[in-house]
Amino acid sequence: MVRFKSRYLLCELCVSERNSLQLLEERVIYHAVRAAVNRAHGDYGSAVCNIGFSVKYVNAHTGVVLLRCRKGHYRLIWSALPFITGIESRGQRVQCFLNCLHVGGTIRTCQKFLVRYSTRQLHRMLLHCTSEAERREVRKAVMSFSLKKRREDGEEEEEEEEEDDGCGAGVDT
Amino acid sequence: MEEPATFERHVYKNASVYHYMKMSLILEDESKRLIAAEFKQLIVSGLRDLYGEIGAAIPFDLLTFDESTKTAILRVYNSGLVKLWSAITLIGSCQNELCAVRVTQVSPFLLALCGNSRETELD
Amino acid sequence: MSPELERFPRNILVCERSNFLNEKSRHGIHVSKHYFNYKVSIFIPECGILPAGLSSVIKSFNSYFLVQKLPVYKLIEEVFLDEVVKKGGFYALSHKTRIDEDNTIAFLPSGQMILSLDKDTYEQLGLEGKPSLYNHRNARRYVVTVDFTDKSMTVGGKRYQRVLLGLKERVPLTCDFLLSRYSTGTDEDGALQGLLSQYSFEVIRPAQYSQTLRIVPCPTLHPSDLQGKAGSCDPHQFLEWLGSVNMGIRCDNSASDFLSTYVCPEPQDSMSQALLYTITGFLIPEDIQSLLQELQRYFDEPKFSPWLSLTVHGFVDSPVSWGTMEHGFLSSGENFYNFVCFKNQDYWLHMATGALDGCPP
Repeated sequence: MVRFKSRYLLCELCVSERNSLQLLEERVIYHAVRAAVNRAHGDYGSAVCNIGFSVKYVNAHTGVVLLRCRKGHYRLIWSALPFITGIESRGQRVQCFLNCLHVGGTIRTCQKFLVRYSTRQLHRMLLHCTSEAERREVRKAVMSFSLKKRREDGEEEEEEEEEDDGCGAGVDT
Repeated sequence: MEEPATFERHVYKNASVYHYMKMSLILEDESKRLIAAEFKQLIVSGLRDLYGEIGAAIPFDLLTFDESTKTAILRVYNSGLVKLWSAITLIGSCQNELCAVRVTQVSPFLLALCGNSRETELD
Repeated sequence: MSPELERFPRNILVCERSNFLNEKSRHGIHVSKHYFNYKVSIFIPECGILPAGLSSVIKSFNSYFLVQKLPVYKLIEEVFLDEVVKKGGFYALSHKTRIDEDNTIAFLPSGQMILSLDKDTYEQLGLEGKPSLYNHRNARRYVVTVDFTDKSMTVGGKRYQRVLLGLKERVPLTCDFLLSRYSTGTDEDGALQGLLSQYSFEVIRPAQYSQTLRIVPCPTLHPSDLQGKAGSCDPHQFLEWLGSVNMGIRCDNSASDFLSTYVCPEPQDSMSQALLYTITGFLIPEDIQSLLQELQRYFDEPKFSPWLSLTVHGFVDSPVSWGTMEHGFLSSGENFYNFVCFKNQDYWLHMATGALDGCPP
């Protein structure tokens, strides 16, 4: 039996205040994306995207979000992401937008992309550093990247660790 | 006077850009009147329910609307035909009253909608 | 985004251009092969009333018969077959039967009988036929073609008896029929009248409807520019405009109007008046042929009209469109053709068919 193919959307949540990222949870993002798809694509879009849609990974520190959906209709979700203006959690509403960085076929490709992307961002931050102390901090952070490999049920999952010393503002592509 | 023509023949396949639909609105209360703009708004809201904001933005023309018989002719781009037709089929209420839209003819040629040999009474 | 939602039914438009005086012009063949016509529209710009010549031609159109509950085998019994069907010029079509749902029967002037049957009827009838060209996956419709002029179908022969027995006893098909006979003047209608007198029937004259339109914007057409690449509008836009004129659709909308953005194709002229004349009924090709000949004579005298148009619509439930080409009904079943006649006897011919149809000849 041919398996169902998926698409993984690697997104980045951009907020004006980094502290509000603490609110980030899978459930919150899930509801926000579903509501956006319902608004943009109606009953048909909701029904079609609901099958096989889930939020796989959320990083409250960096604002990285990984969404999973079926291959046939990923464009519907992708096109609804720009319509998200805010997320609501624990009674608070935070204004944000979801920036889609990469669309991949597996989590592994998304992880690889994220590693390359983050190193590029840190290198850029290095250029913006104003003092020698800051530069040392950034260099240490870049050198301390590590990849932990874990195999589970035949599906490769990779976790990436990264240290952020909070030296730059929100990342911008 | 131009020169008499030499023979020329061209075959166009799927070259019609639009599809045309003839339909009628059936309301529970037959005496109720509707203006053309209200009818178009009804269809746009049907599209919004089924296909969202992006569906509601599908461009279509209400070429004609007969207020007494509540029949209309719509023109839509080929890519929007299925969405428009399915949204119209699922319209259930109009201004808080039950209603239905019956599609009588669909054709890529407006000329074919001039008459309907299935409905013309010959006798 | 969702490619399956953007599909649409297929359609074909064939455009031909030639001159009526050209010997090899095939306009006559196209008209005579389109057997079952239910509506004819004439559009003449800059014309107020129907010219006398056209009026008399239309008056001489054949009347047709609507017969109730006629068993099909009656039309292939020996006497009727020899006197009427095989002599040619006999047209018959089952009335109010839908080509996609019911059994449909048609008699062509070439002496052929076409039966378009659903699977159960076909199997019970037991005649030799072919599955429909437009069956989707399972064969649900079959077409039986019987050529009575063929040598193997002589009356009394085995094949003929099989057909007669099938329609008389195995599956006695009965339905309302539209019948018409092209009368050449001689009194050959004895057999036809004899048949009709056994059943309830009506003699119907084609219905006529005339309309004079005021201040009509019309596209400017150049006879040599069939495709619309050098000044005229393209064929689809022209046919769309012709449809809008037939149905009284406004063409003066602006691009920002909420209701409609439809406009008359450019370049356009404004005509002070135009005549739209419609004839509806069971119309035979011979009558349409004579109408076309009279329309050619319209430009014998100088006229203000730059061109005129004749549109002929076929029955959507007819089993054939042109000749013996199988015709089906998906969402519209259109099969029509349109002549545009110019002053120098040039003509354009547009022939259109829908999804379940072959390419027009």
